[in-house]
Amino acid sequence: MNIFIHEIKANFKSLVIWSAIIGLLILIAVSKFSAFAGDPETLKILDTMPKPLLDAFNMQAFNLTTVSGFYGLMFVYFTIMGAIAAAMWGSGIISKEERDKTVEFSLVLPVSRNRVVTAKALAALVNCIAMVLITWGISIVAVQSYAPDGKFYSFLVMEMIAMFIIEMIFLAVGLLLGCAMKQFKRSGSLAVAIILVTYFMYVLIGMENDFDFLKYFTPFKYFDAVALFNTGRMEPLYLALSAVIVVGCVAGAYWTYNRRDLYI
Amino acid sequence: MNINIFRYEFRARRKSVLIWGGSLAALILLFFSIFPGFAGQAALVDELMKKFPPALLEAFGMSRLNMASVTGFYSIIFLFAQICLAIQAGNYGFGLVSIEEAEWTADFLLTKPASRVQILTSKLLAAFASLTLTNLVIWISTFLAIALFSDGREVDMNAVILMLLSVMIFQLFFLCVGLVISLIVKRIRSVTPYSLGLGFGAYILSAFSGIFGDVALEYITPFKQIDPAYIAEHGSFNTPLLLLNIGITVISLAASYWLYLRRDIKAAV
Repeated sequence: MNIFIHEIKANFKSLVIWSAIIGLLILIAVSKFSAFAGDPETLKILDTMPKPLLDAFNMQAFNLTTVSGFYGLMFVYFTIMGAIAAAMWGSGIISKEERDKTVEFSLVLPVSRNRVVTAKALAALVNCIAMVLITWGISIVAVQSYAPDGKFYSFLVMEMIAMFIIEMIFLAVGLLLGCAMKQFKRSGSLAVAIILVTYFMYVLIGMENDFDFLKYFTPFKYFDAVALFNTGRMEPLYLALSAVIVVGCVAGAYWTYNRRDLYI
Repeated sequence: MNINIFRYEFRARRKSVLIWGGSLAALILLFFSIFPGFAGQAALVDELMKKFPPALLEAFGMSRLNMASVTGFYSIIFLFAQICLAIQAGNYGFGLVSIEEAEWTADFLLTKPASRVQILTSKLLAAFASLTLTNLVIWISTFLAIALFSDGREVDMNAVILMLLSVMIFQLFFLCVGLVISLIVKRIRSVTPYSLGLGFGAYILSAFSGIFGDVALEYITPFKQIDPAYIAEHGSFNTPLLLLNIGITVISLAASYWLYLRRDIKAAV
């Protein structure tokens, strides 16, 4: 419990900064949206555009003049920010002890290594939940002036759940890296590499159908904003895949941390 | 300029340069390898796009993308290379002097018979040399990719070379801005969150203004100041924005020297 509280306090500033960035993003985007809101001219032209073109620019079938369509377009940016923050928290929260040379201190406390990992993982989890809630709250406030309908709110809930699951995946991967890497510096670099590679895969899939098989490897493709909007539910296959990744990485984190030699 | 510090700093980044350079070369070659198949489809799309009113295409940032041309396609790849470059240069900038303080070696370094100006200059030059090596990799892999995959299509070499020339300006921006931020904040414990936040934040801002066609934001993000799509279309830089970019770099650099010379260095007790 003490470790948990300590970590929450230590990560508070980082949470504030990430939330401020995402809040700024939403405010800027919503202010730009005012140019499109309810403008039938834009809608008419978008309707006549060929589908491959819309696909290439990731504007599939969204009605940009409604708040929902606009938020569908924003989805991928939310998830990128969430994924980066979660991966950084996950990989940092374990490995920073070795960087700051405090790891011997925390491990001589009368708690098992399992409990150290649990407390730290929970603290990072709380941060992720807080980030999603803040994104959600700011979104609801920011779009008030466009009088969104009921469907928007349920769509927003779906988006936020999807964002949360993606955060979970990157948090779990980050935790595993933090526990498994012998050198603390590597966990951060590898987390960067994973984020970049998965994001580039996401882009590549959008550009060329031949790379469709990559969709299982990039969490950014697990939740498609269009499908979320149209069907209102997530694909069970990807939910299961996400669960497997999260459980597998967390189990791996515990397993490696218990066998870990400390580098100090 | 102190040759020992330079050599030490340059060697410390050798592995990092190898990894970034290798990944960038792979990125460029892999993305370019889909060009021949892509160009056929894209030509159809480009035909269709000509029918839409230019004002609307402009609003969606599509007017400039001619994906069936080698340069148009390369400008997309180049954007992704820019994200990597931003993070790499940001890493070096944020870590340039802050790592010494995080690892408690700053006081050791400062007892050496070298002035702070010399130290900062040597470190900056070493980081710049590492970035230039990466830059070189991009030049080589770009020409290689064009030679291998351009499918016999005409290439606007002028625009490609302008993009490649912009790499150095782009790197220096993130190096200097990262450095000045690391000197403004009290202490940086870990470099990656900062450089990722700066790099991706700037990229997402520019992606927004691409989708929603606003102008106000173009001025602050280097991804717009040096926009590959703009270069591909016009065959020239957007000069005022480029000058703004260089201006920010120069101001950050000057401020870094000013701050570093006056910095209170925390030492391990």
